[in-house]
Amino acid sequence: MKVDFILNGEDVSCQADAGERLSRILRDTFSLLGVKEDCRSGHCGLCLVTLNGLAVPACLVPAFRVRGAEVVTIEGFKQTEDYEYIRKGFEKAEAEPCEFCRGAVFLSTAALLEERPRPETPEILENLSAVFCRCHDPESLVRGVKSAAELRARRMNFRANR
Amino acid sequence: MARDRKSPLKADLPLSDIREEGMVHVVTVRSPSCRGRITAVEVPRLPRGYRALGAGDIPGENQLPILGTEIPILARDRVSYVGEPILLVAGPDPDVLERIRQEVRVVVLEEEPILEWESFSTEQVLLERTAILGDPDKAFETAAEVLEARFRTESQEHLYPEPQGAFAAFEYDKLVVRCATQWPFHVRACVRSVLGVKPQEVVVRPTPLGVPMEGRLWYPSVLACHAALAAVLCGKPARILLSRDEDFRYTPKKARSLVALKAGVDSQGTLSVLDAKVVLNTGAYAPLASELLEQACLHAAGSLAVPNLRVRGYAVRTHTPPLGAFSGMGAAHTLFAVEAFANRIARDRQEDPLEWRNRHILRKGSVLITGEPLRDRTSFDAIGQRLKAASDFQRKYGSNELIRKRRSTSRSEEAPRGIGIAFGYQANGASLTSLSSESFTVEATLNKDLSLSISTSAIAGDEGIRAIWRSTAAGILGIPLGRIAVSEVDTGDVPDSGPSVLSRNVAVVNKLIERCCVTIRSRRFRSPLPISARSVHRPRNPLRWEKESVKGYPFESISCGGAVVELEMDPWNKEPRILGTWLCVDGGRIASERFARSTLSASTLSALGQCFRERLPIEAGAVSVDGYREYGLLSLAEAPTIEIEFLPWDETDPIKGIGELPFLCVPAAFAAAAEQASDLAIDRIPFIGEEFVTGELG
Repeated sequence: MKVDFILNGEDVSCQADAGERLSRILRDTFSLLGVKEDCRSGHCGLCLVTLNGLAVPACLVPAFRVRGAEVVTIEGFKQTEDYEYIRKGFEKAEAEPCEFCRGAVFLSTAALLEERPRPETPEILENLSAVFCRCHDPESLVRGVKSAAELRARRMNFRANR
Repeated sequence: MARDRKSPLKADLPLSDIREEGMVHVVTVRSPSCRGRITAVEVPRLPRGYRALGAGDIPGENQLPILGTEIPILARDRVSYVGEPILLVAGPDPDVLERIRQEVRVVVLEEEPILEWESFSTEQVLLERTAILGDPDKAFETAAEVLEARFRTESQEHLYPEPQGAFAAFEYDKLVVRCATQWPFHVRACVRSVLGVKPQEVVVRPTPLGVPMEGRLWYPSVLACHAALAAVLCGKPARILLSRDEDFRYTPKKARSLVALKAGVDSQGTLSVLDAKVVLNTGAYAPLASELLEQACLHAAGSLAVPNLRVRGYAVRTHTPPLGAFSGMGAAHTLFAVEAFANRIARDRQEDPLEWRNRHILRKGSVLITGEPLRDRTSFDAIGQRLKAASDFQRKYGSNELIRKRRSTSRSEEAPRGIGIAFGYQANGASLTSLSSESFTVEATLNKDLSLSISTSAIAGDEGIRAIWRSTAAGILGIPLGRIAVSEVDTGDVPDSGPSVLSRNVAVVNKLIERCCVTIRSRRFRSPLPISARSVHRPRNPLRWEKESVKGYPFESISCGGAVVELEMDPWNKEPRILGTWLCVDGGRIASERFARSTLSASTLSALGQCFRERLPIEAGAVSVDGYREYGLLSLAEAPTIEIEFLPWDETDPIKGIGELPFLCVPAAFAAAAEQASDLAIDRIPFIGEEFVTGELG
């Protein structure tokens, strides 16, 4: 079937089986390797993308669900202002997820902050539970998200005051 | 030299992201049986561009000597576990390969597999170790009371951030192999041997490792051989990348253990004698069995100094996938047992476990099971005091005990609480028996622009290790951290620094960097720049385990630690909920407190998961088909507060490895807390609460 959707802000189209996993389409058809090789069960969360603004493991999304949707991968997210404050927030808090889970952690954080601009610690941990990696130090991740939230809030205030 | 990031042969990319024009994928046809003789391998007619590779196609050696044992790269006549590689199929399309794999028919004349390991037969014993200190038999005769317990640890999955695999391709006249490994020169040696070529014809450039949990020491070498074989025989770049399910079911896991302990105490409750029987199920082939068994036996008395001690250790072969190393290699098995046992003895005698331990604690000069006095100072007293203050241990323990005793008469709906403590020590730079004759090297060069280049094949799993190396060099040479570079690992360019395991990156490699820098400093204004220095480490003599006695000093230094775990347990489904974890560490000088804290915190989370979530049932010799999907993890949402404290150090103290301490201390602290909360005997991790619920109902 033909799948038309918006990928990282651009209209794209590809041929795929209806049940083909979005993670595979993104890696194989569009060479977006920031979507990590997945577990096909949503267990690890390393293939996280946002689908219409919600963070979801791409390995659980069949191709037919993508038609007409808006998908953002870490590659697309990196081009946004939001990525910058999350990156800087984590850097400022000296929180460094490893290279395998960093993309998924940042995307998950972005989705959370969109919904809850000032998240509490349990909300942050709940949200990041979608991504599993043995490098995770809960305290530094919480610090990173809170620091990103702070930067984001400052920017929002700055914009509102202008 | 910085790598060309665009070339798949050099780019700093995860293995799964490495692709090259014309690359063939490789899939593995595996044994359907635990044990038997292969009578036929029927391969369907293959499409053009596809090729099947069996043991007969290997130009060099098929039997690889790996860390004290021999492993076939591809099974030729016999199979020893479900999933053992028999045939490789290489070709351009992964979907076609998968179809071919389904169509290949392997016929095995099955034999009765040996799966029992706790009551093992002599033919199963790979290694046997016996060590005796003092006169245990006499001490048991005079003991006022003799106590016994048996503790088990089950298998565990490493859960790497990326499944195992390897990539191989020619670069001019060399074969470049890429994989996530803790030991690049081991990969090179294995590939060289399988292809029957010279060492310099193979170059290994590792891909990012993630957190290896000591599981990427030797198995990547096997997959590297598969990829190399396909690349050479197909004449194209080749990549093998296991699926999550495949990795989960067929690659090595943590060894299973049974530790049977028998203790004699005198009328004052003082431990006078300990007898430990350690059985490790190392599955099929069992590389690293000697290292695991030695570490397990060495730590059999845990943080306790016992005058009379007997340890009998057995590494036992079974027809399950290879079981071996995990963080806390070997030591974690016995430390869980002996520290949990110590807590139980103290509780049965109605003594505070901390006070009971203080009477037995291992100190500098205490005689080890090896017969040598401990040369390092230990800091268990200080660690105990700090943990007590930070967690309010004594008050909580006393109050929980009161509630526990009352519980036997009145049933409450409230979730009962428990708190437990345990100590442990991490051996730094412990000799690997199988490496005892090797020597390992690090080089450093102070360049003309006053920058420093460090050249080593040691793999830094995270930025923290590189930060330690740079900080060490900066401290000696007085140059800014930003001007110190650690070279990319390429076996063609860097010296062999040995495997990155057992804290060697800190205890050995860092020391070699230190020595190089001291040499450079001494030549600094006497020789023109650039100045290069080379430092070589020759491991100590390995432990000499004999049938009746043990001699030798088995490690460079030790790092001490302790943990307190507080939890509450659902009274109905026996599901624990961790309320808090406290860790106190004496790791010498802490080069980067931020990295140390972060590493310990992440390891503590994994260690807690190991205690009650990460269940890996191996039934009929195989990990279940749905194993990966059913494997429970301790999620961040369940993460308790983890408080970490470092004992004070001064700048002259050595830097030591500390990353394994949570795996050594947390499980026994968890078991003690869970016992107090539940009144159950927690003698196995992972603890599975529902088993006890079923038991009660039944």
